[in-house]
Amino acid sequence: MGIILEVKNLTKKFGGLTAVNDFSFEIKRGEFAGLIGPNGAGKTTVFNLISGFEKPSSGRIRFNGIDITGMRPYKIVNLGIARTFQLVRSFKYLNLLDNITVPCLSKRGKEVSKKIGTDKYASSILASVGLVDKARIPPIILPHGDLRKLQIGKAIGTNPELLLLDEPFSGLSFEEQLGITDLIKKMHADGVTVFITGHVLRELMTLVPRVIAMHQGRFIADAPPREVANNKIVLEAYLGRGEEFARN
Amino acid sequence: MKKIDQRDIKLFKKKIIKEKVNNFPSYFKSWVKTFTGSLTLFCLLILFVLPFFSRNESFTHVFLRQFSLAMIFSIFAASWDLLTGISGQISFGHAIFFGIAGYLCAYLIKYQNFASPIGISLAIVIGALGAVLFGLGIGVPCLRLKGPYLALGTLAMSLILLKLFLMGSLADWLFGSEGISALPSLSDDPVIEYFILFIFMIITFIILIQVSKSKFGTILKSIRDDEVGADASGINTTNYKIYAFMLSSLFAGLAGSFYALYIGAVNPTGNFGTVISFFAILMASLGGLSTISGAALGAFFFIFLEYGLIEIGGALQVQWGLVLDIGLYKYAIFALILILVIRFAEHGILRPLLEHLKDLWDVLLGR
Repeated sequence: MGIILEVKNLTKKFGGLTAVNDFSFEIKRGEFAGLIGPNGAGKTTVFNLISGFEKPSSGRIRFNGIDITGMRPYKIVNLGIARTFQLVRSFKYLNLLDNITVPCLSKRGKEVSKKIGTDKYASSILASVGLVDKARIPPIILPHGDLRKLQIGKAIGTNPELLLLDEPFSGLSFEEQLGITDLIKKMHADGVTVFITGHVLRELMTLVPRVIAMHQGRFIADAPPREVANNKIVLEAYLGRGEEFARN
Repeated sequence: MKKIDQRDIKLFKKKIIKEKVNNFPSYFKSWVKTFTGSLTLFCLLILFVLPFFSRNESFTHVFLRQFSLAMIFSIFAASWDLLTGISGQISFGHAIFFGIAGYLCAYLIKYQNFASPIGISLAIVIGALGAVLFGLGIGVPCLRLKGPYLALGTLAMSLILLKLFLMGSLADWLFGSEGISALPSLSDDPVIEYFILFIFMIITFIILIQVSKSKFGTILKSIRDDEVGADASGINTTNYKIYAFMLSSLFAGLAGSFYALYIGAVNPTGNFGTVISFFAILMASLGGLSTISGAALGAFFFIFLEYGLIEIGGALQVQWGLVLDIGLYKYAIFALILILVIRFAEHGILRPLLEHLKDLWDVLLGR
């Protein structure tokens, strides 16, 4: 149970705005952790910093003991961190099988696809996310829920050790959420460390055993979800201060 | 353990390749049986027998040469389609590669004793490789630019080269506005020239279509559709974009070398002009982006439209004493066609054309 991801004093400034402020946490191998906070807390920025899409103003990120601060995104993916996006992205004019094939051709994906063949690997992933009957359809005509599944499939294709899921439930119906939940649980059971964000507490409550809470770019709590839900600072972050309401 | 695995993989790969080679006739047969396959083969057959129709001077030296020109431009337009249609790297300066290869080829033949047949073929290859080097040199700084900015960057690059080659003070090195003239042609017989270009066109199209269908092509298309997504999938997008630039400039350079020999001369406006870049865009967009074979359709259409307009314009002037020369307004007509294509057939005319032809074919066969 070594430490897989170590974030230390991470700070990101956009002009005058400090989106992430002196943020530190650790995630152990095989863990299932959540990152919560109200809208605009800086969750996605933390993910962008870890996955290399933005460079931190200061602070260090280490993955498996390797310093990945400021590395190019594809290199970080090839070290074993895959991510999904809050707004779904897909290769619009490629069919679903080709969509999954692309990550299977990355450095880590190739390790698996060399053994069993790229097409076989891609279609096995497509089957595991439940889209195998739509393999020849381009994603532009798919419903939102299927696109979320496709995104997770694309992340699985890179054969990750750590999976960063950015708001995987946003905009989904309850049934679709259940499908995605099963998928994530299966991934975790296969030995992938999962780190997941969400701004709705209820979704993450039953899913993850550990929650990191942030507000306005700052760390506020790191505890099991039930404790976090009763944490005074977290409640204040979500609902505002009681006295202020009373005064008005 | 790992070594055995590697060897197994190699054996497995060899087996697959062997199977493919052995089964080639059956692959070919099943391809011919498809509608597009038989249509392609039919078109190629027509192109193959065309030179045998007549040995008449006006036929071989005028009409057939238009076909040769169309073949050169279909190679050029297809190379542009690989870069822009498939990889999504918009280039408005494809004439860079076309011109560089043409100049290099012409320089070697004229000033470095490459005038023998072997020398000429070497010069063509070196010209194309020079274009690849240029593709690398231009690709690396330009790839930080995205979308319309890349288009402007490549356009600016081609204009700079055009001006450099036009400069009188650099005429000692770059031959000035006169360029290099009196080059030997591919062959004195236009029929042989035609067949050389025909073979190279087929090779180019087989390679480019196979590339676009391969896993490499899938990665290029993924970069076109969503570069951030490709990056997040662990793909080194910069490398792949440079590969696309190099492959595209190789074929653009090949076309440029052939064009220099076809015309028998190179000069800045004829080989580096923006019109050359826009020809590629026009042709590939008419056929349909990312289809590759659409580029051939567009090339043949525009070359014969140009030829027809000049002929009709000349005939009208002579016959009816028309003051206006339609041939001079060809670019206006081309641009009008491009606007109509973009407005009414966004994805080119090749695919809808094929679909309608197939429907017609099915009706004819009573299916």
